Amino acid sequence: MTKASRWAWIVSLVAVTGAGLVLVFLLSLATNSRGLYEQHYVWLFWVNVVVAGLLLLVIGIAGVRLLVRVRRGKFGSRLLLRLAAVFAMVGVVPGLLIYTVSYQFVSRSIETWFDVKVEGALDAGLSLGRATLDAQVNDLATKTRLAAERLSDTANPVPTLALERLREQLSAQEVTLLGANGQVLLTVGRITTAFSPDRPSTTQLRQVRSARVMSQLEGLDEDSVAASNAARVRALAYMPSNSFSLGAQDRFLMVTQMLPTSMVTNALSVQAAYREYQQRALARDGLRRMYIGTLTLTLVLAVFGALLLAVTLGNQLARPLLVLAEGVRQVARGDLTRKQVFASRDELSGLTRSFADMTEQLSEARSLVQRSLAQLEAARTNLQTILDNLTAGVIVFDRDGHIDTVNPGATRILRLPVSAYRGRLLSEVPGLQDFAAAVAQRFELHRSSPEAGERDHWQDAFDLQTTAANGRENDKITLLVRGASMPHAGQLMVFDDITEVVSAQRAEAWSEVARRLAHEIKNPLTPIQLSAERLQHKLESKLEGLDQAMLVRSVGTIVNQVQAMKTLVNEFRDYARLPAARPRALDLNALVSEVLTLYATAQESGRLSAELTPELPTILGDTTQLRQVIHNLVQNALDAVAERPEGWVRLRTEIARTDHGEIRAVRLQVLDNGPGFSEKVLKRAFEPYVTTKTKGTGLGLAVVKKIADEHGARIRLANLTAGGVEGAPVTGAQVSLSFSKFAPADSTPAVVANTEARAH
Amino acid sequence: MRVWTMLALCLLMLVGSPVARAEPITLDSFELARTDEGLVLSFSARFDLSRTVEDALLKGVPLFFVAQADVFRDRWYWRDKEVNSVTRTWRLAYQPLTRKYRVTFGGLSQHYDSLPEALSAVSRTINWKLADPPMLDDGRHYVEFSYQLDTTQMPRPMQIGIGGQADWALRIERVRRLN
Repeated sequence: MTKASRWAWIVSLVAVTGAGLVLVFLLSLATNSRGLYEQHYVWLFWVNVVVAGLLLLVIGIAGVRLLVRVRRGKFGSRLLLRLAAVFAMVGVVPGLLIYTVSYQFVSRSIETWFDVKVEGALDAGLSLGRATLDAQVNDLATKTRLAAERLSDTANPVPTLALERLREQLSAQEVTLLGANGQVLLTVGRITTAFSPDRPSTTQLRQVRSARVMSQLEGLDEDSVAASNAARVRALAYMPSNSFSLGAQDRFLMVTQMLPTSMVTNALSVQAAYREYQQRALARDGLRRMYIGTLTLTLVLAVFGALLLAVTLGNQLARPLLVLAEGVRQVARGDLTRKQVFASRDELSGLTRSFADMTEQLSEARSLVQRSLAQLEAARTNLQTILDNLTAGVIVFDRDGHIDTVNPGATRILRLPVSAYRGRLLSEVPGLQDFAAAVAQRFELHRSSPEAGERDHWQDAFDLQTTAANGRENDKITLLVRGASMPHAGQLMVFDDITEVVSAQRAEAWSEVARRLAHEIKNPLTPIQLSAERLQHKLESKLEGLDQAMLVRSVGTIVNQVQAMKTLVNEFRDYARLPAARPRALDLNALVSEVLTLYATAQESGRLSAELTPELPTILGDTTQLRQVIHNLVQNALDAVAERPEGWVRLRTEIARTDHGEIRAVRLQVLDNGPGFSEKVLKRAFEPYVTTKTKGTGLGLAVVKKIADEHGARIRLANLTAGGVEGAPVTGAQVSLSFSKFAPADSTPAVVANTEARAH
Repeated sequence: MRVWTMLALCLLMLVGSPVARAEPITLDSFELARTDEGLVLSFSARFDLSRTVEDALLKGVPLFFVAQADVFRDRWYWRDKEVNSVTRTWRLAYQPLTRKYRVTFGGLSQHYDSLPEALSAVSRTINWKLADPPMLDDGRHYVEFSYQLDTTQMPRPMQIGIGGQADWALRIERVRRLN
């Protein structure tokens, strides 16, 4: 309901109530005064009843609506109900009280009006009046009879004078002589136009004949004021005729005497009062009912008015509170939209305004918090991504030493499921006990006595030997660990796998040693050989027999050994400093074929075979170095199967293609069915001095690796297993070289130059 | 309307009152005659006043007796047309001073010494003209007649006090069709 229509309703209801009350007032007047209001009593009454009915309807509807809302639990209906009840009670209870008192008052007081004594007094007054009038009547009757008897003695006809004298004696208004039939014979007196002498009826005449005299009051009507003037006593007396003549008729004497005005007035007033009183007494029930009815109707209208006001006022009062309460509920639910402000001129509107402001501030604060959270979340996600993608391992310990966070790098480096041990100590991870102890010790050392130059972190290298999942031991890895303290007494550990770095450094070191050694040793070798040859040259002709043989043998030995040492030193030097590769387009197949010519015997015996894929693309490579590679590999393979009667070595070239069919690399494979590589050797085969052979320098594969690196080729060692399944028994070894540097399309393959074959 | 009002008043004031019953009042004679002067009615009613009414009368309450006659003409297409309606009212009052019963009819008043005389004076009429000849020309006519003790002319509080009491309900009705 809009505000305007609501106001219209209220105003109309108030108007109706007011009209009803005014009518009630009129009604109350009507019971009191007669005349105009009495005539309208009925319709006044009915209008009041209609108004009361209307109000009852309205109140009934409002009450039912309120109760339904309470039943349904609509918000604020209970408050409204309470307010309405309170207001209604305030309006109704005093009204009821007054009604009860008035009811009693009306009933009692009406009763007291009609006192017995008053009635008695009126009765007495009436009797008094009646007695007085009767006395007058009787008096006149007696006098008239006496007069009639006297007159009957006088002569017939009666002289007028006598009648006149009689009239004056009786102080009567009129004296009339009537005949037997009542006809007027003679009359004296003042005749006014107000009345004329009535002819007595025949019954009256007959009555008089028997009773001699009859008198009555006349003209005593209570209606008009003129009655008091017209009241008279009329006496009729029978005049017996004293002559016995025939034709003598009865005569009657009629005397009319006026009653004194004052007496009449008094008597009439007493009668009137008596009549009034009796009417009232008879009507007192009705009167009481009228009063009570008016009272009840007033009560009803007042009560309804109060109820209506109660509901309306309650509504007015409750609305701002309800607005407020609704707002609070919304806030509690988390809805922080703009709240309604109630516009009125009292403190409640200020309250609603403050509440709306507070809600707005809350809303702003919340959105601020949400923005900050979002930013925080973004930053955190950023950091998390960085942490996850670090190659270094990060482990965070809390203040008790339990693992707090582990990044994927740590798991990868350690090759252990460290993240599963989150919340536990590092020493609980199998295989990391020593490492954990060492780390803890180092942390303690740092905390108690930090070394010079280390302020907030320490750095150290640890060796770690872990066991793989299948029980075999992993290789030893070297970790560079850096530790620092975190805020809240936590500890941070960052480590890197520097095994390969160490290994590379080691290779580098060896390489340097080798070069130096080679250089130092090589120098004296030539003079030694020359001296020995000179000795032989000089002394061979001078000695004979055994001495000569011994000389030759000895010098030969010296020369051979020196040669061997030279070779060794050369190999060292080669390893240390490979000559620069001169890459040229070459056909791998052609090179392989050329090298294999040197192993003709092995080929013929079936131990060595070649499977060369034709139409190999030309690759870029140094012929000399690649020749050496092939030599080394083939020799290794042949040495591996030397003990086996069924041993074979296969040399294979093939083209490796990508998923789309393009040429990716040219692969050279050397396979044998020897004992294969052991785990240890597999890992460190390319390191210098790693060998399974009893003789040799152990530099062969190292050189191969170096050459491969020069060419940008990839070399891989693997074991052949039965059926190609991992874990099955080893049936042989395989070395693969993949060359991916191809010669430009238009270059011709280099002529295979014939150089010294280097045997390994 | 009068009976409705009385009933409603009684209900509202929580006074149950018995439904009004008609006191035995009879019409001794009821004669309609069509003369040169028009339609004339002569009737006489006979009844006894109950104790309450007589008491009220002796205490000075005036009684009103009303005779009403309505002449209707039949009409098939609508309500019957009322040709003429005449009323006669008698006022009967007791005068405690003179102990006489005064009957007022129109402007005339008469005194009677006893109640029966007075009652007979108020309850009969001779040659009461109901309608003029011109009004009775067309159609069929009938007369609705009622004679009752009229309480509406009494003072209001008395009326309410009486309510619908059976003692005060004196009424007789008659419908006669003209031939």
